[in-house]
Amino acid sequence: MDLSLDESQQILVDTFSEMLEKECPTTLVRECESTGFSPHLWDRYCELGANVMGLPESSGGLEMSLLELGLVATRSGHVLAPVPFMEIAAAGRLLAGLGAEDSLVAEIAEGKPSLSLEIPRTQAILGTTRSSGGRTLVPFGSITENVIAADADGLYLVSGAEQRRSAHGVDLGSSAMAHWNLSREGGTEARVLAQGEAAEKALARAHAEWKLLAAFWLVGVAQRSLAIGADYARERIQFGVPIGGFQGIAHPLAECAIRVDGAELLAWEAAWADTEDPARFEMLCAMAFSWASQTAIRTADISLHTHGGYGFWTEYDIQLYYRQARAISSIGGGSREELQRVAELCFDSDGSGAADALLGGA
Amino acid sequence: MDFRLGPQADEVRREIRTFLAENFSEEDRKRAAEDGGGHDWDLYRKLAAGGWVSAGWPKEYGGQGRDPYEILTLYWELCKAGFPWIGLLNNGFIGHTLMAMGTEQQRAEVVPKIAEGEIAFALGYTEPGSGSDVAGARTMATRDGDDWIIDGQKMWTTTGHTAQYIFMLTRTSTQDRPHRGLTIFLVPTDAEGVDVQPIHTMGGERSNGVYLTKVRVPDSARVGEVDKAWSVVRFALGLEQAMGYADLQERFIQNAGRWALEAGPDGQRPFDDDRIKEQLGQTAVHAEVSRLLRHRSTWLQDEGLDLGGKGAMTKSFSGTSYLDDAQQWMDLVGPAGLIREGEDGAIAEGNFDEAFRQTPVNTIYGGTVEILRSLVAEAELGLPKSR
Repeated sequence: MDLSLDESQQILVDTFSEMLEKECPTTLVRECESTGFSPHLWDRYCELGANVMGLPESSGGLEMSLLELGLVATRSGHVLAPVPFMEIAAAGRLLAGLGAEDSLVAEIAEGKPSLSLEIPRTQAILGTTRSSGGRTLVPFGSITENVIAADADGLYLVSGAEQRRSAHGVDLGSSAMAHWNLSREGGTEARVLAQGEAAEKALARAHAEWKLLAAFWLVGVAQRSLAIGADYARERIQFGVPIGGFQGIAHPLAECAIRVDGAELLAWEAAWADTEDPARFEMLCAMAFSWASQTAIRTADISLHTHGGYGFWTEYDIQLYYRQARAISSIGGGSREELQRVAELCFDSDGSGAADALLGGA
Repeated sequence: MDFRLGPQADEVRREIRTFLAENFSEEDRKRAAEDGGGHDWDLYRKLAAGGWVSAGWPKEYGGQGRDPYEILTLYWELCKAGFPWIGLLNNGFIGHTLMAMGTEQQRAEVVPKIAEGEIAFALGYTEPGSGSDVAGARTMATRDGDDWIIDGQKMWTTTGHTAQYIFMLTRTSTQDRPHRGLTIFLVPTDAEGVDVQPIHTMGGERSNGVYLTKVRVPDSARVGEVDKAWSVVRFALGLEQAMGYADLQERFIQNAGRWALEAGPDGQRPFDDDRIKEQLGQTAVHAEVSRLLRHRSTWLQDEGLDLGGKGAMTKSFSGTSYLDDAQQWMDLVGPAGLIREGEDGAIAEGNFDEAFRQTPVNTIYGGTVEILRSLVAEAELGLPKSR
């Protein structure tokens, strides 16, 4: 067992931490509230190779592991970076894996944030399904020009800003979401990427990867929320003493610290399982997303509450974290639905007894 | 990065499973559950014969020098199987302590007897007046020539009725701060003035209260220096806190899953109800996080790194999440969940009822969740002391 990062992973973490603490202060996050995207910051990401980290070498990529992508996502979560890192990574890897759309993959490698993907969760988009008007919410849909989507007939790419059905809109977490018309039934033009089993596998893989990166990102949101709350609890004096000395303040924060550590370990384990314990990979991704969602939302909430009324004031940063934790979780369908997915992946609903091995781990 | 426990731990898992298959029958399991005492001499001697009591001890003391992952796996498998293992845990730890700080005589005479499974110890820390505040112990040990006279009372002395000795925390000074006047003695349970009385719990455990009236022990029964036992106490609690109940959580989710996948009398599988599915997912996630926190504690121990508040995290999370799941499941499964194992109509091997009765204590003994959260707040978040 080894739960430490190796030297190159540590360098990666340090490099991104340094860049982000400098280039992404919360003043930038506030400036980007209405668009959810900072082109300037995305350029800095691309200078460090973030756009091609997960792509194969044959596509001009660095062929880094999901763990390494995840480490960057966690650092991004620390500062609420307004960039489509997860979407570019998951959707780009999907295209490169299929060997499709070479020119679009090349665009990504050049640093253009021109690709996103639909995260379809039937229950999460109740009342807003495609058939009800052909409007699907796509993360970073407001800046992308291409969206990967799927239906019963397979996997396809919808291109062109004319399929976008809404402009930049203010949303809870500055997610740069926009509605797209992704319904092929409605006559939307699309290029087929894969069909049949190949499409299903590629899609499941891409969604697992996005969920995993979202888990890493939420871990970052939770870690920084906790640090902000603990800092405040040490400094804020009431009744003549720092409020962190009261169990009513200290214990909820401690409980969050425990859950945050668990969320980080779970995300790491899922990423590690990609190559080392592949039978559990998809299940662990679902576990990591649901737990990181629950944990980030709870931690941001407890931290906000620790601030008293100040936490509610837009001048204070913690309210940004409170909103983004919920937003990322919601885009992925929320934790409750993901827990059902954990059960489906784990127990496989066929009673074959495989569950014991999946639960027991390596 | 590597999340595997390693080939040696895998081998231990195989060996223990073989041991259990050969020596621990379904009748044994039921008897152990009914007895609730946490220790069975026949089974224990078989474990000792296999070298498992001293498995984690250094080879120079007759141990097997096994690493923390192997020891974790040993307890994991025994616990999941329902094996009465409390005596094993206590004795393994007390052997360690005697090797580190016992007298030459204790190391030469007592340690080998523990390894051979001849003698067993109960832990005597808690008292009626000192639970969380363990340093507040008031059981007095007073010098009388070369002997000590012990007077007082202990509570929750699990295995005190089957062990030959109690590893007993006493007060030897009231001059300084409470944790600077504590001394440990090995007190024979058959000594004159020792009265062991049973305590039965809702969870089915049998523990003990121990009354001590003018109990005379020689100075050679003292472990470590006079007034300096606090570090020993903290070490033992630290070990317990770094464990948690992930093994039992794993058994619980497996039982719940098996139950959910089986069609009921109406032909429907509970699994197909979204509420059940969601709770299965939540229980599985809790079990996984508990396991990871425990593995991390073990990794830190193996690396010789400081646990900080991470041992406390392990038990705190495991205790609270298992308790919560046990309660949520009882709400979901309806009245059949109330029926005890072995009774007509029991479901999931009675695991819903058992977990519901047993889990409340997991957030209490070995450090209440409040104590643990304070430790985490101080060690991991740098918050001021809050108790």
